[in-house]
Amino acid sequence: MRERSGTPNLHELDAGHFLHTGSQAPQNLAAHLDNQVPVESPRAVSRTSESDPAKHGEQHEGQHYNIPLQDLKAVFPHGLPPRFVMQVKTFNEACLMVRKPALELLHYLKNTNFAHPAVRYVLYGEKGTGKTLSLCHIIHFCAKQDWLILHIPDAHLWVKNCRNLLQSTYNKQRLDQPLEASIWLKNFKTANERFLSQIKVQEKYVWNKRESTEKGSPLGEVVEQGITRVRNATDAVGIVLKELKRQSSSGIFHLLVAVDGVNALWGRTTLKREDKSPIAPEELALIYNLRKMVKNDWHGGAIVLTLSQTGSVFKPRKAFLPQELLGKEGFDTLDPFIPILVSNYNPKEFESCIQYYLENNWLQHEKAHTEDGKKELLFLSNTNPGQLERLCAYL
Amino acid sequence: MAAAVFPAWLALQPGARTLRAFSTAVSPATRAPTPSPRTTERTSKYERPLRRKALPPRTEKMAVDQDWPSVYPVAAPFKPSVVPLPVRMGYPVKSGVPMAKEGNLELLKIPNFLHLTPVAIKKHCEALKGEKGFHTAHSEEQHYILHYLKFCTEWPAALDNDEKCEKHFPVEIETADYVSAGPSVRNPKARVVTLRVKLSSLNLDDHAKKKLIKLVGERYCKTTDVLTIRTDRCPLKRQNYDYAVYLLTVLYHESWKTEEWEKNKTEADMEEYVWENSSSEKNILETLLQIKAAEKNLEVNKEELLGTKEVEDYRKSVVSLKNEGDNESTLSQYKESVKRLLNLT
Repeated sequence: MRERSGTPNLHELDAGHFLHTGSQAPQNLAAHLDNQVPVESPRAVSRTSESDPAKHGEQHEGQHYNIPLQDLKAVFPHGLPPRFVMQVKTFNEACLMVRKPALELLHYLKNTNFAHPAVRYVLYGEKGTGKTLSLCHIIHFCAKQDWLILHIPDAHLWVKNCRNLLQSTYNKQRLDQPLEASIWLKNFKTANERFLSQIKVQEKYVWNKRESTEKGSPLGEVVEQGITRVRNATDAVGIVLKELKRQSSSGIFHLLVAVDGVNALWGRTTLKREDKSPIAPEELALIYNLRKMVKNDWHGGAIVLTLSQTGSVFKPRKAFLPQELLGKEGFDTLDPFIPILVSNYNPKEFESCIQYYLENNWLQHEKAHTEDGKKELLFLSNTNPGQLERLCAYL
Repeated sequence: MAAAVFPAWLALQPGARTLRAFSTAVSPATRAPTPSPRTTERTSKYERPLRRKALPPRTEKMAVDQDWPSVYPVAAPFKPSVVPLPVRMGYPVKSGVPMAKEGNLELLKIPNFLHLTPVAIKKHCEALKGEKGFHTAHSEEQHYILHYLKFCTEWPAALDNDEKCEKHFPVEIETADYVSAGPSVRNPKARVVTLRVKLSSLNLDDHAKKKLIKLVGERYCKTTDVLTIRTDRCPLKRQNYDYAVYLLTVLYHESWKTEEWEKNKTEADMEEYVWENSSSEKNILETLLQIKAAEKNLEVNKEELLGTKEVEDYRKSVVSLKNEGDNESTLSQYKESVKRLLNLT
């Protein structure tokens, strides 16, 4: 089949124009695709009826596929970008566009060797190009394939604006974040109900003088403990991560670790102790345990990460390259990984997006469906998906 | 002999009458101390060293066709007793004339060009004529230019391009001289000496070069590989030149030595990324070992694993990524090498 399906974007770009890929890549790809795709009705261009991500292939590229709303609640209790959630509510349907980076990742995931250590895939790209939604596409695929999804929707939320930090009972040097931990545990429970009774803990955990979890009890008990006793939530999260990592190698389930904004794990935090001294990320128990999770010393699954500047602290706005956002420490920890670039829309995808908005009567402007209108939108948004979405919201 | 000595000895005596024998218009009577001094000044006047009478000015002995440049060879203040011209300067009092030249401060204050008469300039030009065969110049400026040119030699014909100059004379010294019209020829800016040398022309090995660059800091330019040392801490130019050369010598010798504490060089001090013993190497080794263990292939050793071509490619891509930073080509190279290493399609 296609040997170059792996990295078509990068091979066809001119050397030395990396930062301006947005406008150049689409022209090159359009030259190839125009020959293959005949003029079709708008519905066929923008939508596909194939709703199983496992069957998505290159022929579906640029088309939106529908996720049933019940699935949405089950798979994505947290993790969808807020603007997308609003769009779903408005249109009363959830449609994700199938794009090349996600297809590439799906291809790798389908061919994962579960005996080998977990491979790390890092999605990176400029602001608003669709990294988080690509991650959601992957999560949907893995959920359909019955993997256990460990999804941290935004790691940046754990390093800034946290109140009520407690000293950890497990390790005096570290700090707990009860609120964030309990919120995450609730969402984790919703996403992975069916696994929580199947997986059994392999150790006894003593919470305090009166409560303890025995060896062999289901993982759901640990999660319940964390949700009800907020003080122990962080430790519960730590236990969940440890158990999942240990047991994924045994083959009962496949584990997908999906972290959005993974560069938060190795940067700085905005949190301070009472004596105004800054807190390093590794002093937070949640971050410490998560770092252990993204190392590749376990097998039986995959690790998909995105880098995000939006929401990051102390990083310049234009930074999007892996080494810039991860820093030396992050890069050394994640090395070796597969970097996957997510870029702006190519003309086909752009056309498809406009058609989708027109079908849902989202674009009310009378000139929106004309060629001139589309060109204007293309120019104003520079084919950036996030920018286009914001512009269309006004029309 | 004795006769010759005698007057000299007598001349040494203050107030000796023999000296007055040489002068023509001196009346002995004027010199004799007055016989009736006032009682208060009696001791001082007698003990005061007898002042000799002022000599007639030199102008009276000057011939009309004398050699004027030897009277005023350099710029000198106006000396009324030497200049035979009856100049007058000053504002006259009522029904009077401007003041005479003797003791005239106005004549002293203004600049004079008595040392640059046409005769003097002609003589200078003749002296400077030399091999150049220049047309004799008469203005002061051209005078100076000729002065400079006379002492220049031809550019050596063998050094006709920059590479040869670099090869034979790798060290460049830059100094500046300043000329200004003023009372003094000194200019404090003239003591600055700049020494430039390319490091490629020095005999340095890898460690020495890195150490030298760290020692000099900002004085080294990476793009042109030039070390610039600018000294001005000594008062004289030649002292600064010696100091600059001394600095270069010391830097060269120190960078070849290895000190005890250089063993403590950490990863943060490294100028460029070195893959051996780095965390990247450890990671890839662990990963490969785990892969091999999963395939039940236990008899592998580290050197074999690290010697394969995929690991070599991976090493190159990581080094270029770290040294050059992220860009499209380094990232794609890294991606390909990782894919091959981990056997992903």
